[in-house]
This record gives sequence, C-alpha cells and structure tokens, in this order.
Amino acid sequence: MKDLKHMIYFEKLLDSAYNDLVREAQAENRVAVGYTCFHIPEVLLNLDNCFSVRLRAPYMGSTEIATYYLASSSCEFSRAILERAIEGGFQFLDAIAGVDICECMNRCYENMELLDIKGKNKDKFFISYVDVPGKDEEITVEHVVEQLQRKVLNPLHERYGTDISEKAIREAAEKHNEICRIISEMGEMRKAENPVITGAEFHKIVLATYVCPKDLILDKLYETLEELKTREPDKKSPFRARVVIVGGEIDDPDMIELVEESGAYVAADRFCYGSIPGRQEIILNDEEDVLTQIVRFNIEQTACPRYVTPNKIQFRQDQAAQLVEEYHADGIIYEQMKFCSYWSFERTLQSHVLAEEYHIPTLSIDRPYQAKSSGQLRTRVQAFVESLEIKKIKARREEAGK
Amino acid sequence: MKYFGGCDVGSTYTKTVILDEDGRIVSANTIKSKINSAESAKAGLELAVQEAGLKEISDLTYLIGTGYGRNKVPQAAENISEISCHAMGVHVTDPSVRAIIDIGGQDVKGIAVDTDGTVKTFAMNDKCAAGTGRFFESMANAFELSLEEFSNLSLTAENVIPITAQCTVFAESEVITLVGEGKPRNEIAAGIQQAVAKRCFVMAKKAGAKDAITLTGGCAKNQGLKAAIEKVLRMKVIDLKTDPQLMGALGAAEYARQKGL
Repeated sequence: MKDLKHMIYFEKLLDSAYNDLVREAQAENRVAVGYTCFHIPEVLLNLDNCFSVRLRAPYMGSTEIATYYLASSSCEFSRAILERAIEGGFQFLDAIAGVDICECMNRCYENMELLDIKGKNKDKFFISYVDVPGKDEEITVEHVVEQLQRKVLNPLHERYGTDISEKAIREAAEKHNEICRIISEMGEMRKAENPVITGAEFHKIVLATYVCPKDLILDKLYETLEELKTREPDKKSPFRARVVIVGGEIDDPDMIELVEESGAYVAADRFCYGSIPGRQEIILNDEEDVLTQIVRFNIEQTACPRYVTPNKIQFRQDQAAQLVEEYHADGIIYEQMKFCSYWSFERTLQSHVLAEEYHIPTLSIDRPYQAKSSGQLRTRVQAFVESLEIKKIKARREEAGK
Repeated sequence: MKYFGGCDVGSTYTKTVILDEDGRIVSANTIKSKINSAESAKAGLELAVQEAGLKEISDLTYLIGTGYGRNKVPQAAENISEISCHAMGVHVTDPSVRAIIDIGGQDVKGIAVDTDGTVKTFAMNDKCAAGTGRFFESMANAFELSLEEFSNLSLTAENVIPITAQCTVFAESEVITLVGEGKPRNEIAAGIQQAVAKRCFVMAKKAGAKDAITLTGGCAKNQGLKAAIEKVLRMKVIDLKTDPQLMGALGAAEYARQKGL
C-alpha cells in the first residue's frame, strides 16, 4: 500500500514524551498532565487550559536504577516509566494524575515524588493518588468521583486556574468524542477482508492521540481519515491470519509490527493504550452531574482484570469473543507485561477459558516492555499463525468434502 | 529427480536436510552456527547440495528456512517456524509420536503433534537459557568435560544431589561449590540432568503428553538427560531412527517437498 502522508509525523510524536506538539502547547502556557492508566478519565485532563499526555518510555534500554528503587519483580512498565522519569524525561510535566491501582505503579509514582523528578520552575507540580475500589458498584462511582474532584480537579483549579465547571467538562467531552469518532471510523476499516490500514498503522495513530494536545493533531487525523477512504489496499494481503490482541499495557508499536511481520493482521486492539476501551464516545445526559456520568462510563467500559466481580469477568470473556466475531479474527493473542500480577492471573485463566469454552484458538504470551528484538516471541507468534492457517486449510478441505 | 531442502539455522548449530521426491534423505549435515545466520545457512546448504550430487543451492526445487535465522536462509522460498518444522520432522520419522520436547541451544519447547504432523498446541520457556543446550555447555565446562563425557558421568550415579539454581550462572556457581565440598561428581551431574528434566516436565504437560514423548534438538542426544526425563516424567521417551537434532531441518524439507512437488 502507498504510505500514509502523515505516518512519519505520527511516528515522530511517539519518539519522546516531550514531543513537538507538547512543546508547542506549553509555549502557549498550557498545562501538561501526565497519566498512565485508563482509570483516570482522560477527558478530565483536557479541560480548559490543560492537556493530557499518556506516559510512555520509548527506546528504553536498561532499567537498572528503577529496579533498585522498585524491585526486579515489579512489572517492566512501572520500571521503564520510573527510569525515564529519573532520566529527566518527564520534567516538562505540570502534574501527574496517578491512580492507586496496583502496587507497581503506586510505588512508581511514590518514587517519582521521593526522587523529585519534576523540572525546574515547576513549583506547582503535583502527583495525585486516586483510589479506585475493585468492585464495579455504584458506591465505587461515588468514591471515585470524590477522589477525582479532590485529588485532580481541585488541585488543577487551585494551582493552574483551570476551569473545572460542569460546562468545561461537557466541552472537553465533546472534543474528546470528536477524536473518538475519527478513530472509531478508522478502526471499523479493520473489519474489511483486505483492510486499507494495518494494525500497526492504526496503533501508531491511536497512540499519537494519547500523547499530545488533541486539538493540535485534529487536522492531520481528518486528512488521514480521508486518505484512508480512497487508499488502495495491496492486491494480495501479506497476512495469513487475523488476530485480536487482548491484554495489558502495550504502548510500543513495535510489538504490533512484530505480530504483523509474523503474518497475523491485528484486527482489534483490546489492550491498555489501545482503542478498545479508550476511544468510545462518552454519551452524556442533562439530568445527572457530568463527572458522575464520566466516571460511571469509565468503570462500565474498563476491561481491567483488577475487577474480579463475576459480572466483570464474564464481560471480559464475552467482549474478547465478540471482538473475534466482529473483526472476523481467526484467533486471540492474549498478552501481558512481564511481572504484571493482575494480568498474569487473568491471562492464565482467560486464555484457557477462551480456548476451551469459547473454542477460539488462543496464544498466551508474556512479553518484555520492549518486544521488537525478542526472537522467541516472534517464533511463538509465527507458530501460532501457522497453526491458524492450517486450521483454515483443514476447515476448507472438510467443507469441500461434504 | 527433484530435490527439496530444509535449513534450520539455530543459535548453536545449523542443520540442513535434502529430500528427494519420495521423501528419502539424500543429504544431511550439522555445522556450528556462525555469528552471521546467512553465512551459516550458506555453508550448510553448500555442503548438503554437494553431498546430494547437485551443483548449487538453486538446483533445489524448493527450499525452506527455519530456526532463529530462518529469514536469513539464502534462496529460501519461505520460512516456517521451528515449532511447525519439528512437529513435521518427527511425524515423518515416527507418525505415532504425539508429544515432543525440543531442547535447543537457547530454549525449550513442548509441542503437541496432530495426526497429520501439524501442531496442535505448543509451549515455550521464557527468555533465559535455563535448561537449554547453553546450560549444559556451561555445566560441562564447569566439570572440564565434553558434553558426551558429562552425560556418561551422570549415568553412573546411584544417588542424585539436587541442584536448586535454574539460572545458568548461579547453577555453575552452585556446582563449583558442591565440587569444592568434595561431593561425588557423578551425583552432581545427575542432579543437573534432573533439574533440566523437571523443567521439561512443565513443557511436556503443557504439550498434553500422556504416556510417551520424544526428544528433539541437540540435547536429545544426551543419554543422561533422557534417563532423567523418563524418571521425572514417568513416561517412555521414544527414540527416533533419524538424528533428533535434524528434526527441524527435516520438517522444513518435508514442507518444501509437499509444496514443491
């Protein structure tokens, strides 16, 4: 396929957390708020004069220093983020909206604070620790609303004069929804038999929308959407199978490229830093207070294994199976970041359930933060693709024999 | 007559097999891998085509690469993962086998084989070299023995001294300590074999092995390991009539034969 006009631009935004658009916005005195987890509703970090930056640590090498402060048994994501913070990669931030969601990330934020990772002249800098209960009940919604108000919104207002009114939140939601509509339309294109966008391209575009002020990237997104509508796919697809990737944190487009280079088209992305969840429109009513609605929406949408109530477990299984059907996938790659305790339990259980009970071929993998150079991972994915291909050939033979 | 090649570029050894139209092995070799995968493959293939009475690599009707350097095999029509190739190689050697443990230079794999030689399921160890060919090389070095001498030494033990460390580096240090304490060397060697066999247990279970398995890869020639696996897994280890180290290359050549005929 012909290269997308703005793909190099999007890729460049992913090279560093402190990318060109972040610099441009900060030059206009806008407030950069870092975050890492879906449990902080992104829309709330894009109010008025603020913009969100979902933190990543691209090109991370050794994490020796972070490992000293955390532990070698901490997940590689938490270590990479802390290491990048210690290197000075997040000094541009005005605040970090952290969540007390898992021990690794909690300790990551805690060490950022103890090591005083903020930049010069960032006297108003703060790190929040929003507590999110493990049950998706109405009392959780009430609790998280109170936490977000007290630990994120009020400090933004007090320190940076941010308008945190109902009206400002609704305006931010509308802007957020505009991005979601574009991404969703692009995402739908992955359902085609021979799609005009690769999974890796889509992931890069989605990531770009997470890491910079959205208004500054909007024109490029619209242009890319229009370009995709007329893009000619390759006559013969280079992919031999279609997969849904389900699991924890993936902020590394190289991981998706590795899967696609091994022959599997990534048709749907049900993982943290992906589009499902994350790029669904927030539908608001006029009756209830807007913050409560946003928090409830987030808790309903999340597929985080931290929620262990039976209805949430069932939701995650059904959602994975539904994505396979909707996106015409042949199988699931169930992945987790090494040493992530929530996802390791979830992956072990769900990859078994999806294979045995839903009869969906499933490859279960744990992976390093930077996956590109992993020969073993490449071999696993390729072997999985080959097995999917053989299943399809056998099914066709059986069908022909009838 | 048409000829078909399979070249398995592993981390330690490069294996090449050439088959004729009837699936008979006309040439096979194993050479030490070089740092450059393409050069390893070229060297192995040139030797093999010469032995098969062919002039050059391009005389092969169809060539498939496999192993870690699979995408570097010169003139290969395609590459297939070593997991699929080991399954097919074992299938054409002994169609009764349903579970394989492949112990290569840098990883261990459990593979469940379907009745037609395709892969049903598989499992792989993690990134580290614990329980792999590299591990044995390191242990044999610590004993100042060749791999074969090390294997034979372990078979002479009546008791086993368990080795607790799985990490290659720590295990070597543990072995040196035990030797320093004057513990019987053959019992320490048997302990090392047992440690690897336990690791294989997990892979065998994940591959759905029930009553019998076969071993492939360079470590399959280690008789001491075979004995330890039979003991730990309580399963029969089926001996293959063809060199088990060649299974990946043989499977690749068989796939090449099926595709090129």
